Amino acid sequence: MRPSAPPDFALRFLAWFCPSALYEGVEGDLLEAFHEDLKAAGDTRKVVRRARWRFVWNVFKFFRPGVVLRNRFTIKLFNTIMIGNYFKVASRNIQKQKLYSFINSFGLSIGIAFCILIYLYIEDEKSFDQFHANKENIFRIEEKQFDTWQHNTKSPYQQSAWLQTGLMKVLKSDLAEVEYATRYSPDATGIFRYQDKVFTEKITYADADFFKMFSFRLLSGNADKLFQNKSDAVITAAVARKYFGDDDPIGRTVTIDNEGEKSFTIVALIEAPPANSSFDFQILLPQENRPYYEKHVDNWGNFNTPTFVQLAPHTNLDGFRGNLGKLVEKYMGDRLEKWRKRATVPIPRDVKMFEFEFTRLTDMHLKKEIGWHKVSDPQYSLILGAIAILIMTIACINYISLALTTSTGRRTEVGIRKVVGAQKNQLVYQFGFESILLALISMVAGLGLVLLSLPVFNEFTEKGIRLLDADLISLFGVILGITLLVGLIAGSYPALFLSGFRPVEVLKGRFSSRLQAGFAKPLVVLQFALSSFLIISSVIMYRQMRFVTTKDLGYNQNQILVIPTQKGWTEESNRTLAQFRTRATQEADIISVAGTSSSFNQGWSRYGYKIDGEQKSAYVYAVDPQYIPTLDIKLVLGRNFDPSIASDSSVLIVNEALVRDMKWEDPLNEYLNWQEDSLGKGSRIIGVVKDYNFRSLESAVDPMFLSMNKEAAGYLISMLVKISPENIPGTMEKISKIWKELYPDRPYDYAFLDDDIAKQYKSYQRWMSIMGLSTAFAVLISCLGLFGLSGINAVNRTKEIGIRKVMGAELSNIFILLNKQFVGLSLIAFVIAAPLSWYVITTLFLKDFYAKITIGWELFAVSVLLGLLLALLTVSYHAIKVALSNPAETLKYE
Amino acid sequence: MNKEYLGEFEELVLTMVGILQEEAYGNAIVNEIKQRTRREVNLSGVHVTLYRLEDKGLVKSSMGGATSARGGRRKRIFQVTNAGMAMLRAMKESRMDLWKLIPQLKFS
Repeated sequence: MRPSAPPDFALRFLAWFCPSALYEGVEGDLLEAFHEDLKAAGDTRKVVRRARWRFVWNVFKFFRPGVVLRNRFTIKLFNTIMIGNYFKVASRNIQKQKLYSFINSFGLSIGIAFCILIYLYIEDEKSFDQFHANKENIFRIEEKQFDTWQHNTKSPYQQSAWLQTGLMKVLKSDLAEVEYATRYSPDATGIFRYQDKVFTEKITYADADFFKMFSFRLLSGNADKLFQNKSDAVITAAVARKYFGDDDPIGRTVTIDNEGEKSFTIVALIEAPPANSSFDFQILLPQENRPYYEKHVDNWGNFNTPTFVQLAPHTNLDGFRGNLGKLVEKYMGDRLEKWRKRATVPIPRDVKMFEFEFTRLTDMHLKKEIGWHKVSDPQYSLILGAIAILIMTIACINYISLALTTSTGRRTEVGIRKVVGAQKNQLVYQFGFESILLALISMVAGLGLVLLSLPVFNEFTEKGIRLLDADLISLFGVILGITLLVGLIAGSYPALFLSGFRPVEVLKGRFSSRLQAGFAKPLVVLQFALSSFLIISSVIMYRQMRFVTTKDLGYNQNQILVIPTQKGWTEESNRTLAQFRTRATQEADIISVAGTSSSFNQGWSRYGYKIDGEQKSAYVYAVDPQYIPTLDIKLVLGRNFDPSIASDSSVLIVNEALVRDMKWEDPLNEYLNWQEDSLGKGSRIIGVVKDYNFRSLESAVDPMFLSMNKEAAGYLISMLVKISPENIPGTMEKISKIWKELYPDRPYDYAFLDDDIAKQYKSYQRWMSIMGLSTAFAVLISCLGLFGLSGINAVNRTKEIGIRKVMGAELSNIFILLNKQFVGLSLIAFVIAAPLSWYVITTLFLKDFYAKITIGWELFAVSVLLGLLLALLTVSYHAIKVALSNPAETLKYE
Repeated sequence: MNKEYLGEFEELVLTMVGILQEEAYGNAIVNEIKQRTRREVNLSGVHVTLYRLEDKGLVKSSMGGATSARGGRRKRIFQVTNAGMAMLRAMKESRMDLWKLIPQLKFS
């Protein structure tokens, strides 16, 4: 480097920040100043150093906004002087055309509100379990088993988070990388008793490490000392308030009854888990209290509790996977060999019978393959997003078509502006500015709508979203982004179209008054098609839901109360049932009382058995002789159970599906060896019932049998009480009184059987409501658009209609004339939408049902008539108004 | 035009552009100001002011010839526009008008 040259780094810095347009002039001036400085008198070395120093200093002084930011932001793009004028003209236009402005901003604000809600939904889905400090290191262990029972070539494996009870201890003792481990059994209930307060509560069994791994805040109590005693209990503040009021709950003793009563001491209060947590406990008890814990703890063939581990930071996950494989080998090796041999289908050697897998805590919410009560399908977000985009598109089309059709009034403005010297791009900016302004107004309205509809939305989606909990900055960014995007999309075509007018033609008045924008019609067709898509989908969904809720299930589900015996899986339940029946049937309004091991939609049990080397399975219900008459189940063959015949405890009543499955010709002379008794023939069949839908209509009626065998089939833990349809409230009162009188120490929980059955379809009902609501809004928005459009159309043709009337046209002729094109357009739209909606709804919705409606032409006919009727109603207001107008009025100014 | 406002430094630079004519570029203006008003001004300050005047439409610029003293870089030559000239004139006149309103010293 020559000593008399300016420093390199300063030049490079200048080149980096200085806009290229200015660079040459600036650099030249700096170099010139540098050379001038070099000419100064004095010691050469000192002068050079000083000049170089001054050069650097000067360069740094150029690093200022006036230089750096010059031409970076395209402020020049928007002629700032004109903004005031644009704003003025835009707000005047909005005021002048109140109806169209309303239609536009109404549609846009609903669209924006939908988008915001969907954004909140997706953010909430993503925020699941993110609040745990150790979230990166916590994993849920899962099992992947080769399914030998119901061999399915498409998905031969079955996955589940329910694992062996003993696994947790083994993980901690055998694997060094496991820092903490806890089991977490979320699905138990128990009777919680404190003094005279007795209720059924949700119980969760966990281990001591639970409190160290997860970030649920303790409101009182010491996290390190919890669950050291088997009788410790941790409850949430809400539970504490329910039982103890304002008293301090710590140290109090309560009893909890889940398959046997036990005493517990409250040792800590814990914060209730937030809505976006995969855990939703209320009462936490140590795992050792789980029913049959001792029986399960050493059994490696029983899967009954989920297990979570916290690994040491930076654990190699592949190594961990390998170690889990070693555990399988060590603890389950023999068992797996046996399974492999017993399987009825040959299993290739290279197929692993059983593997442990794991999922990061933060991923478990959207891992839909593995069952969890709060698991969610990422597809939901997609569907909701698609609906939002649909509505947004419809609203944007409204804006575009209305802007195009009302453009007549603005032609002169465009012409004058151009003559005065406006560039085409200035006009584009002007109209773009207008649409963005309208979008901003809609944004404010949309935000208001979000605030209003959030509670309803939460109910539909079973979420607890609160607007203020969201990350407000990004939320606002997204809202503003959506708004500007919508403004740009909706505004771009009208802006380009309007700014393209040739001033000479416009100002000479050569423009015909008819709408010329050829692009408007396809847009209207698209809009209609989207609306019909939603209408058809909703109609199909509605019909399917009406079908499943009103279909004859093969048994009577009305006026039947389901009451749990509250005595658990014991002989005691059967005694309770008998006692209750004796007492209850004394009342005239109580028709009968039946018992069952599991009422409808309250669980089921299924037995697998091998017959002649073939793997079979059937659902099993323990019942009593009153079961069939109480539910009006039809017997096709044989007889019901008879309490007076002792041997009836070992016979079975089967359904027709089982008869078909076994290919029996004469079922009453057959035996079913379902307990795989190697000596006897099995249980004799005494009756066959007509198939009834004991499970939801999502599945076919599978083989099933009823049994009175307490030991093998189960205890009667649910009572089905049939009451007479008259005076239901009075009867309910009576039953409640009888219960209090017989069992004052047990909570009285009841449900109506038909409610229980309806609950099976809750999520479908929810989707139907969401779809219905979206359809309503979409149809409303497009009808408003259509209303506006038809209004302009009618006004455009006022003179034509006046002349036609003078020439003798009838009212009906004119009506048809004006509406013909709309009917045509909507028919085209319908033809496009019908196959699409059929495809979408069958693949997304109907596929989940075994019993489903047949989609015939009449469904589409109903939808198209509905759509047409709506469209005609909307357009006819203007059509009739114009058709009725006096031709003398419309023609006199010519 | 009457709404437009010109700062003191902006006016100074604009005037210098008018004085220097063909030779009005960043460094020359700095030197000219130093010579005529004995005021030390910063090169970057002059540049930014020139750009601002250009935005306001009071000067326009074009790239001029190169000299060896500038390492072969061309100069950005500025030129007062009609609007700039009118602005200078308007400012001078308004100042003169105001000056006339000051009571002159009278000997009685």
